[in-house]
Amino acid sequence: MSQLTINNVRIAGMSACVPATVEENLNLPIYKDQSEALKVIASTGIERHHKVETGTTASDLTMKAVEKLLEDLGWQSQDIDCFAYVCTSRDYIAPQTACVLQDRLKLRSDCCVFDLPFGCSGWVYGMSIVGSLMSHGTFKRAILVAAETNTQNRNPLDTTVRPLFGDAATATALEFDGQRSRPMNFMFGVDGSGFQAVWAPYGGMRNPVTPEALQEQEVSPGVFRRGVDMVVNGMDVFGFAIKRPPQSLKDLIATFNIDVETVDLLLLHQANKFIDEKIRKSVKIPAEKTPYCLEEYGNVTSASIPLTMVSRCRETLAGEEKHCLACGFGVGLAWASMEFYAGDVKISDMVTY
Amino acid sequence: MSITEFIENFADQFDETDVTSFTPETKFKQLDEWSSLTALSIIAMVDDEYDVIIKGNDILNSETIQDLFDIIEKQQ
Repeated sequence: MSQLTINNVRIAGMSACVPATVEENLNLPIYKDQSEALKVIASTGIERHHKVETGTTASDLTMKAVEKLLEDLGWQSQDIDCFAYVCTSRDYIAPQTACVLQDRLKLRSDCCVFDLPFGCSGWVYGMSIVGSLMSHGTFKRAILVAAETNTQNRNPLDTTVRPLFGDAATATALEFDGQRSRPMNFMFGVDGSGFQAVWAPYGGMRNPVTPEALQEQEVSPGVFRRGVDMVVNGMDVFGFAIKRPPQSLKDLIATFNIDVETVDLLLLHQANKFIDEKIRKSVKIPAEKTPYCLEEYGNVTSASIPLTMVSRCRETLAGEEKHCLACGFGVGLAWASMEFYAGDVKISDMVTY
Repeated sequence: MSITEFIENFADQFDETDVTSFTPETKFKQLDEWSSLTALSIIAMVDDEYDVIIKGNDILNSETIQDLFDIIEKQQ
């Protein structure tokens, strides 16, 4: 099994930025009546999501989140040794968005910056990658962004996605600290045979954009998409999500001899309440230790776990060290689980764009 | 697994449809109450009761409850 342990790195602070515009599922024009909307809300737990105005990018939200985080931590942008940008809704096809953000955020020109084009598993993968780089000891401070504008690459007339997905940017500040850190443990997983469970068929090199790929079609009753729009095959995602994440968490628990009784927080990718509750019950962690923010923000893909921490765990994580498990899972299909400790974390007030 | 028990479990995923509406020959996707959300309940039920994860295509390609039962039985 691919397992990883990282030492000497801790979470110093976290922040998040969401767009001001809120879309209420109850009032979406895609439903015949409110009873249809209520059914979706009851089964997913998602009541609303925040949505950017067209033209606002994930990097715009990121700017606000990172600036707030640096200010609250008392860090200067020039202090940052490594900057990782987990995002698939990139500003341009080229270059990487992290390069553009280096200039906008006034990071040093010798800062190690890169994009990580992960989806829902992205924050956990990002923690493993940035944490590993930092554990060598020469990078002292890093920022891991997890951001996405899901409303912009999905069709608003696609009833299978519009009520579920929202936009957000989060920033996690990591620091090298041999005194106050505890080991972070990771397990990884991937099933590329399921790549069409969540995918955008057109717009890459395999299927370049053509005039036909921009034509909207009714692919099933009430579901309109263009070839470039994201497809989410709900049934396949669901089947994947009730099987792989529970197994991944169980493998993590067994591999690293974790006593589940000592876990303070189970931080799950906010897919939907039905899926997440099945995962939670599979590892027998009580509901009060499993915070949710999907009712307010929907599924914000890679930003889900850090947004849950910022919006729901501020006081918990500001205090003494908490034992945490996290699991991210989705597009790829890819998933990853981690065990970590977090305490004395400076969590910023939510920022609105 | 028995078809009788499977039909009971299948019918449990519906709130409004009368239980007598369910037979091996029932074309379940033609039931008024059928929706994509029912499909998710069926997938979860099959995982819980039979430890099999069915794919979206298994549901799309099944016309009757018996068709779906046969697919699950093969994977057990």
